[in-house]
Amino acid sequence: MGREIKYYAIYGLFLFAMLEALLYAAIHWWPAFAENMGAMKALAAPLPILKDQINLVDKLGAPAYVAGQHYFKACNILGSTAAILFASNAIAGEVHRGTFEVWLARPVSRLRLFTERFLLGYAAIGVAVLLSSLTTPALLQTVGTTMAYSDLVRCSLFQTLFLGAMYSVTYVFSAVSSQPLKIAFVMLFFAITEFAIYMVKTITHFSIFRWSDIETYATIIGRNELDLQRVGVLLLIQALAFGIGLQRFLRRSP
Amino acid sequence: MHAPTTEPSTSSAAGPALPGSIQVRHLEKTFGDARALWPLDLTVDPGSIVGLIGPNGSGKSTLMRCLVGLTRPDRGEIWVDGLRLTGDGVGVRKRLTYAPGEMGVYREMRGREHLHWLLRGRDRAARERGQRLAQDLGLPLQRRVGTYSHGMKRQLVFAAAMAPRVPIRILDEITEGLDPSRRTEVTEVLEADRQSGTTILLSSHHFGEVDRVCERILFLQAGKVLEDASSARIRDRAARLLRVVWSTEAEAMTYLDSLPSEAYLVKHRRVHECVIELADHDPRPILAHLKQLPGPPPLRLQFGSTTLADLYRDLYGVEGT
Repeated sequence: MGREIKYYAIYGLFLFAMLEALLYAAIHWWPAFAENMGAMKALAAPLPILKDQINLVDKLGAPAYVAGQHYFKACNILGSTAAILFASNAIAGEVHRGTFEVWLARPVSRLRLFTERFLLGYAAIGVAVLLSSLTTPALLQTVGTTMAYSDLVRCSLFQTLFLGAMYSVTYVFSAVSSQPLKIAFVMLFFAITEFAIYMVKTITHFSIFRWSDIETYATIIGRNELDLQRVGVLLLIQALAFGIGLQRFLRRSP
Repeated sequence: MHAPTTEPSTSSAAGPALPGSIQVRHLEKTFGDARALWPLDLTVDPGSIVGLIGPNGSGKSTLMRCLVGLTRPDRGEIWVDGLRLTGDGVGVRKRLTYAPGEMGVYREMRGREHLHWLLRGRDRAARERGQRLAQDLGLPLQRRVGTYSHGMKRQLVFAAAMAPRVPIRILDEITEGLDPSRRTEVTEVLEADRQSGTTILLSSHHFGEVDRVCERILFLQAGKVLEDASSARIRDRAARLLRVVWSTEAEAMTYLDSLPSEAYLVKHRRVHECVIELADHDPRPILAHLKQLPGPPPLRLQFGSTTLADLYRDLYGVEGT
């Protein structure tokens, strides 16, 4: 367990550092962005989705800007990548490395091994997202504005659940496969494709990132509550993925 | 001698097996179309040391994995230390140690850290014993495992498998990749462990080593037990083996066909080489028969100097060292 905690702590710290660096840069440029809102709108005019996003930022100010820069861009891109990499390597990595048998051979139940690793990877993502979000008010103060901690906690929770769903689905593939690289490539291709189609107005509704865009977080901030229906769906996906993955893992031979 | 750990979550059913014993009943396992184990029965008595011999793919590792709950058999029952194996076998794994035959390591970990990782779920005393044993084997525990040779990695796993005080140890190809002096050290540790009453089931390609350490040998081929006999009996068989080499295949065939049935137990031919297991230790009757045969004499005769490896190669066509 010590080894796993150590490595996931390092991965989580690395993710946090990257999210924090991007957040710092984004907030640093907020005044310039706000001053040039007109030019930004003109620039985004040919892309209806982007135009909608900039209009939302113009309407709601810094909170929508943070939602766009931190959650929609940084967390969705880096968080999805981290979720896919952590999960694809979690079990398939052991098989690929040849350590799967020795990992299972110890007097520890498979349920425990499976759950521990699932939770550690999940926690590494969630804690990084939450901690980086909690530094937002202090960073915003440097540019003369702020955001409520409660809004940031709610947004972080929802973002973690969104990334957790992607993590869980990848974890299922990891539980049945022995090729972590292949899983990672397939899932990253899927995530990039989904992110790309988000910007195409005619097919944007097929993108999973519609569930984690500026509008989603602006709504959470505006209503001061999570969308429980969406939370339920995300939790259901994770529970199903966990159950399927566990069932396959319990029957897997070294 | 050893206090077994109870694990009610795995099985609380009282089994027919004795503490410290391994019992297998009608165990079967197939992987797709390939049958790894035919219905297999096996009993390992408490405190005994039993060797599994067989070529690659004979089912040794599959059998061992089934015994520790890593592979689910299709059919059959397994009792380990009086406990029936059910579920993922965590209760059974608390009562035994297992060293896998094929293994990778976490290259980035240091030897001591890796040893502790291998001993997760064991007590502090086991970790201390493992460390002592690893040091006795000359392992540099402060170094990263990535810098270890193949043999050193195997020794690390061996130290972890020998450290906990458990009634049973299952060791798959434990001396594979070790040099002769390390192999001797390992067999000495095994012998000392057996003296303290531990039941050991080990597999090996090294016939000589199994012969030296084990009191009973099971020979597996294609998932079946071809032979289950004491070491002494197998040595006795090897001592009754006569090898006759002819210059042509036809001569060899003629010779084998002419043998009186009361003179041998098993006869076998490989091209122009005949191998005959005599009914007793006296080769004179069969040599007298050889003298009476028309045609040229054989090129070479060998009797009484057959090793265990020769026995299996000659009788079953299986190579070993």
